[in-house]
Amino acid sequence: MTEPSRPLVTGGSRAAPYAAADRPQPANLADILERVLDKGIVIAGDIKVNLLDIELLTIKIRLLVASVDKAREMGIDWWENDPMLTTGKPDGLRDENRRLRERVRELEGGDG
Amino acid sequence: MADTGYYFYAISRGLDPDVLNTEVGIEQAALQLVKHQDLGAVVSHVSLQDFGEEGLRRNLEDLAWLESVAVTHDRVARFCAERATTAPLRMATVFLSEDAVREQLAQWYDRAEEVLNRIEGRSEWSVKAYADPAAPAETGGDEPPETMGEGMAYLLRRRTEAQRRESTAQADAEAAQAIHDLLSNHAVAGRQLRPQDRQLTGHTGEMILNGTYLVDQGRVDEFLDTVAALRSEHPGVRVEHGGPWPPYSFATLEPE
Repeated sequence: MTEPSRPLVTGGSRAAPYAAADRPQPANLADILERVLDKGIVIAGDIKVNLLDIELLTIKIRLLVASVDKAREMGIDWWENDPMLTTGKPDGLRDENRRLRERVRELEGGDG
Repeated sequence: MADTGYYFYAISRGLDPDVLNTEVGIEQAALQLVKHQDLGAVVSHVSLQDFGEEGLRRNLEDLAWLESVAVTHDRVARFCAERATTAPLRMATVFLSEDAVREQLAQWYDRAEEVLNRIEGRSEWSVKAYADPAAPAETGGDEPPETMGEGMAYLLRRRTEAQRRESTAQADAEAAQAIHDLLSNHAVAGRQLRPQDRQLTGHTGEMILNGTYLVDQGRVDEFLDTVAALRSEHPGVRVEHGGPWPPYSFATLEPE
């Protein structure tokens, strides 16, 4: 059995594009990390390091940082880019937006 | 030797120690088999500067280092799993002496045998399902009339979007559960892992299932046929599979 080649990703860069999906996909770093850090037999070695902490510290923080970079395109500032809200009187709309966002939150919470 | 530790990759049963000469571990170090009865601990020497408590804490924060050790760990586990019944250990299990490794193996003997019996002749396969976020679903709402105030129109639109998201999310969850249930029927066991973050994988679409399955060697073809059939049954869902993996997800006994 040959080992699959592994186009590993570092940080936020992207591995290979999707190939025809009927072949096994190569393992990516996330596949490997979720197994070697979180699964497998746990035997307490002589060296004590809590990998769950590491996972939180390293991976989660990196993801968070990457997410902040991506926040804009992921829609955190949706109100700024909404053509409906940016045409017309932007200043007057800002206050209205704030009030409306609060109402939206209520509505969405209330509708469950 | 005081500055050298033993990195413990996996427990194998019936592994020929000679084949370990054809593979290397972390930092190209030679692999060795520390035996106890029919079990062997696959280990290699590592520097305690890097793998002592202080070193590990420092190095594990370095994603490039973490990646290189994780990949090597997996490569060694895979190598052994292809040649003998093998239970991988969690990454970064380090002992200070060969005797300490052997003692642990003896102490773990019964539980290790239990795990090895469960995974013998089986391998782990990963199946992920993605929904396309651009998938149409009903748009549900009409365009608001032009006379409607911008604020109210906005509110309406937000509510429609929220409702659409909700029904899409429910349909996704149902599809994911159906896929997982079906695959579990063709496997010895199935587990759902947390959906992966696209920042790490770069995947497109919404990962609705990150499943992993322990499959009998004799039923791998049947399992893969089932995966293939899923693709036509769920045209709106992209299904990817990977494997065989060493059975990480099914070798998870915790210490008492």
